Amino acid sequence: MMDFIRDYGLILILFILPVIFVIQPLFLPMIAKKNIQVDVTSLKRKKLLIYRQIKELEMEFDIGNINEQDFSSGRADLKREVSEVIAQLNSL
Amino acid sequence: MTPIAGSVAMNLAFGFSILTVLTLILYTRNGDQRLFLTGQRLALGISFFVFLATFILAYQLIQSNFDIDYVARYTSIETPFVYKITALWAGQSGSLLFWLFILSIYATIVILQNQGKHNSLMPWVIITLAIIQMFFLVLTNYVTNPFKPTDADFIVANGNGLNPLLQNVTMAIHPPTLYLGYVGFSVPFGFAISAMINRDTSPLWIQSIRRWALVAWLFLSIGIILGGWWAYRELGWGGYWAWDPVENASFMPWLTATAFVHSIIIQEKKDMLRVWNMVLIIITFTLCIFGTFLTRSGVMSSVHSFTGSSLGPIFLTFVFLIMIVSFGMMYFRRNVLKSPRKMESFTSRESGFLFNNMVFVVMCFAVFWGTLFPVFSEAVRGTKITVGPPFFNQINIPIGLILLALTGIGPLLAWRKTGKKSLIRNFTFPIITGLIVSIILLLIGFRGAVVMSFSLGAFVTATIVTEFARGIRARQKKLNESIVMSLVRMVSKNRSRYGGYVVHLGIVLMFVGFTGHAFDEEKEFSLKVGESDHVAGYNFELIKLSEAERPNHYAWISDLRVTKIDGEFVTNLHPEKRIYFHKNPDPNRRQPHSELDIHNTLNKDIYSIFSGVDSENGVAFIKIMINPLVEWVWLGGYILIFGTMIALWPRKDQ
Repeated sequence: MMDFIRDYGLILILFILPVIFVIQPLFLPMIAKKNIQVDVTSLKRKKLLIYRQIKELEMEFDIGNINEQDFSSGRADLKREVSEVIAQLNSL
Repeated sequence: MTPIAGSVAMNLAFGFSILTVLTLILYTRNGDQRLFLTGQRLALGISFFVFLATFILAYQLIQSNFDIDYVARYTSIETPFVYKITALWAGQSGSLLFWLFILSIYATIVILQNQGKHNSLMPWVIITLAIIQMFFLVLTNYVTNPFKPTDADFIVANGNGLNPLLQNVTMAIHPPTLYLGYVGFSVPFGFAISAMINRDTSPLWIQSIRRWALVAWLFLSIGIILGGWWAYRELGWGGYWAWDPVENASFMPWLTATAFVHSIIIQEKKDMLRVWNMVLIIITFTLCIFGTFLTRSGVMSSVHSFTGSSLGPIFLTFVFLIMIVSFGMMYFRRNVLKSPRKMESFTSRESGFLFNNMVFVVMCFAVFWGTLFPVFSEAVRGTKITVGPPFFNQINIPIGLILLALTGIGPLLAWRKTGKKSLIRNFTFPIITGLIVSIILLLIGFRGAVVMSFSLGAFVTATIVTEFARGIRARQKKLNESIVMSLVRMVSKNRSRYGGYVVHLGIVLMFVGFTGHAFDEEKEFSLKVGESDHVAGYNFELIKLSEAERPNHYAWISDLRVTKIDGEFVTNLHPEKRIYFHKNPDPNRRQPHSELDIHNTLNKDIYSIFSGVDSENGVAFIKIMINPLVEWVWLGGYILIFGTMIALWPRKDQ
């Protein structure tokens, strides 16, 4: 009897519980899909990426890998890009 | 009960994988978040059942349950505990389950790490990973089941035991690291497919997988280096790389993956090379599956192919499906794969990266062609023609030297365009350094690839030193810091850049080691106790020849005293001749094995092999190899790992 309980208790824990865990969300009330067009996390990541690019550009300039003209135009481009992202974030 | 539980768990995992795919596809159609949550949980369920099945098999191996065919084939009562665990990946079905186990670890991390992030990408990432899991679950459930009971109609008292070649600590680590690399590329591949389906091929998906790609690349690199280390220390032919098909199977994805981890930098920073990155990750992942196919199908003869099987057609079908679906998707998404920016100049860092990609792909194709030439020749002419190391060396040494040169040239080029003045200023010191080294080597008497390799090594090292020096100087000038503080802060703030340079230094050191191969010497001789012979300025005297019976083998142990010709003592070497399963009444089942002994120095290795014994007359047959600079390969490997760790170390904002 103990063996039976041990074996089938194990089956319950290992096989039945995962099934309950999986189907549980289906019994929740309907959840609307998040607006995937406006992904705040992605925008924040994009902002971070551009900030890093600005830092790196400054470093390249300090090292002497790029000339002043390229540095200025590159920096202006990146600043414009980041302003657009910030504007998008602010509008949310 | 437990072996059955293993089979049940694998079947449930298979069922869950189908449900995951269906549920998430339904979610992408109707957008009901409940379906996404269920799909995510189903995917976690696949991993849970795979973990369960793997632990059950490991437990059966430890318990020596010979009722299971796999346990009886790859372990015995005498097999040491640690090798009972490593037997998990010694055979075909176990290693496929282990592949699945690692994929499930990765899938679990990806799902948990991205809760609430990448809302548009994640459903298709999970679907892609679940389809890959499904493929391996089909194999392990219906083609080669690790829980299959033993066929014998009697009680199996003992198993075959593990192949002696695999009873080695390195071999305990080598396959898992290689698999961690192979399987790791499933994640960037999943993100790539998802990005294409979502029509979002901007640099954001690259940012999500950069670390994944680096982690997989690191493990693949460690796996390859450990494989070389194992071959060098265990196989007894004195080398670490033989262009064996299975070695090549891991080297090919490494080449395209190396191109990929470089190329994604361009997309991340400049939003260029979108098509290249897609192609590279698709090829890398396909080659990872193909590598598993080469190892497991038995289509190629190799020292590493520990199993032969009928898995070939199934694997090949999967490989073709991946390629058709992925490249088909690229075709249909060709409009969003167009990069918004174009190359501005040939002398730019962007073009350096592009050229780098091309050279890596050419090298990969050369290795692919040489590896599969026996198969192609058999299909076309009906005769299997094998191309050996001379073919691979002839093709790959020049390409390798070009890559080494690019390692130095790339960092010296500026983004967008490098002006004439900058070119002269940046290249002067490294070129002069390389020229000085080549002149010295030519004067000493070296020629050809040896001179090229060492000179380019010096050129690249000078580049790296220049880059660090300029970076430190710029910080000192701007922030008035000490040299040490500048170095620490500079590396800390630009981890991927300076970590990358450290990796390049590791590659240079490895090339130094590879070049040492040109000066190898060897000699084979027989010795009785008290006799001696000499090789390359070293004298080898057999001091003692003893015998020992150990738990899983019988051994003859030689004691070789190594001195220089002038009598200066160098070391004592103790290579052994072993017979595994020596108690087996069937002599054909006993396995001879030579256990090497190596005296390592940075300058050269003295490599001793006890190749045979005449126990009646007390004669030992010894082979000695003098292998210069081999230690530099391993040293370069450590530096490569260290550099990648720097590049991977998380920043505060991550």
